[in-house]
Amino acid sequence: MMELRITLLVIMGLIAIWFGWRVFRTNSMVRSAFSLLASMVAIGGMFLVMEAEFLGVLQIMMMGTEMSIMAIFMMMYMMDPGGLGQMDMKHQEKPSIVVAVATGGLALAVILLTKWGRIISEAPTPAQQNHDLGIEIMERSMMLFESAGFSILTAMVAALATVLIIHNNYKKEN
Amino acid sequence: MSAVLSWIIIGILFSAGVYFVALLERWSMSGRIEWSGPFHSFLQAFGQEEIRTRRYDTVFYEATPVIFIAVVLLSITILPFAEGTVILDLGTAALFINAALVYIMVSLIMAGWSANGVYGMIGGWRAMAQLIAYSMAVVMAITAAVMRAESMGMLEIVQSQAPLWNIIYQPVGFLLFYFAAMAMAFLPPFDLPVAEGELAGGAWAEFTGTRKILFRLGRLLLILTLSLAVSVFFLGGWLGPWLPGFLWTFIKTALVAASFFWVGRYFPRIRHDHLLEWGWKYAVPAALFNILQVGILLLL
Amino acid sequence: MVLIVALIIGTVLFGIGLYGALSQTNLVMIMMGVELMLGAAMLNLVAFWRYLYPDVYSIQMFVLVTMTVMALEAAVGFAIGTQRFRTKGSVESEEAADLKG
Repeated sequence: MMELRITLLVIMGLIAIWFGWRVFRTNSMVRSAFSLLASMVAIGGMFLVMEAEFLGVLQIMMMGTEMSIMAIFMMMYMMDPGGLGQMDMKHQEKPSIVVAVATGGLALAVILLTKWGRIISEAPTPAQQNHDLGIEIMERSMMLFESAGFSILTAMVAALATVLIIHNNYKKEN
Repeated sequence: MSAVLSWIIIGILFSAGVYFVALLERWSMSGRIEWSGPFHSFLQAFGQEEIRTRRYDTVFYEATPVIFIAVVLLSITILPFAEGTVILDLGTAALFINAALVYIMVSLIMAGWSANGVYGMIGGWRAMAQLIAYSMAVVMAITAAVMRAESMGMLEIVQSQAPLWNIIYQPVGFLLFYFAAMAMAFLPPFDLPVAEGELAGGAWAEFTGTRKILFRLGRLLLILTLSLAVSVFFLGGWLGPWLPGFLWTFIKTALVAASFFWVGRYFPRIRHDHLLEWGWKYAVPAALFNILQVGILLLL
Repeated sequence: MVLIVALIIGTVLFGIGLYGALSQTNLVMIMMGVELMLGAAMLNLVAFWRYLYPDVYSIQMFVLVTMTVMALEAAVGFAIGTQRFRTKGSVESEEAADLKG
């Protein structure tokens, strides 16, 4: 069972990495947004393999809507949405490769050199997980949940306030 | 009766349901019931010439019909037809059906973008505007049904309606989910993505032949799946007095599907900004009121 | 073993997201890099939950908060990008040198 899970994790991880790489290598903008969607769906699939069923389904649902919105914003704001113009859209490429590889190497060293402890082979069933997650939200993490809700409301109001144009139709009297 | 026999009967009834919905779709457009109409148009599509636009996006164009019909088939597998007769009994099935049906919208955007034509592209983006309008109503109506069942599994949701069906327990939720299901299957009056007269076929404009048949068949399956979801969440699934469970399911599903077509004849096509206004100014507070009402009734 | 596989996948995704966030000029592409980084962080969190502490549900709460943050920063980022596009005509970061010098 564990070998099947490792195989599935490796396959979906390679899919996620390949589509994540394609995001920054393709010229067409909408293809870039949808390959990010494919990468996020692969991550959601990995959540499902790791038996976090609620999180996996939630990730797949939210990323569908979010990446589609990103696709329409890319079409609105980028200079070449169809990708037929062969533009180069990068700056400071060498330093960013160095930083990314250095960070990756540091994290890899930490992963391989730490003693992680005993790996637990049994996880709770999804029904039990949903129930316990609900209890956790309602009892211990209630403050966190409430502040997350409040920050969602604040972000919605802030995003709209940044963007709305309010026309003042006052007639000038003189 | 044995499991294989009941699955065969369910398969036959499901195909009969698809034929029935195809008849109704033809009736809602022309006013006549043509008994051989669905077979005629199905066979005609195989003989159609495959017309493609000039610089279409190959990856999306080929993948979109497959994604559309795969998503619908995936959401059929988690819906229960009778007691214990479900293909995949997930613990979080109520959220899974919402997650799967978002990818209908993704498929429509891909279809609109891939064909490299203006009308298709507008149809695709209008599908996304429609999703933003109805998405909150769907999630909150499902949440209220899940609150009563205290579990996200479909079997428990139906079992919790044994005393009283959800349509009476939470009528506001039923109305919201009903109209949001019509919007999700882009039926008239919510058919902005594939607007027949206005956008020359909308997001599906540039698809012909077998791909178009995959889309149309997928849309009929989607209507049937959403009717099944409405009857599972709000009309009590397989619960009923004398007949076996799956017959009750199909009677309820057929009634809901027929009412989708009948109700939609009375309104003109709803514009996307009106839809967004109705969705966010009126539907979301109504859904929150519904959750409050279900919570109060549960705590009493 | 399976924990190390999942963490390595998360690390590679994080590296790709960091490369994208640093090397792209357009605001929307930078945000896509940030989304990849947050996705990789969530993958690490779920791996830690499943293989080290499966009965501690505050880890799942953390994942929910991270998902919320992904959505919110996309929303506010696009609002700022919209307003920038209205005033200046592009959302390129190369042309956003108004406060420089």
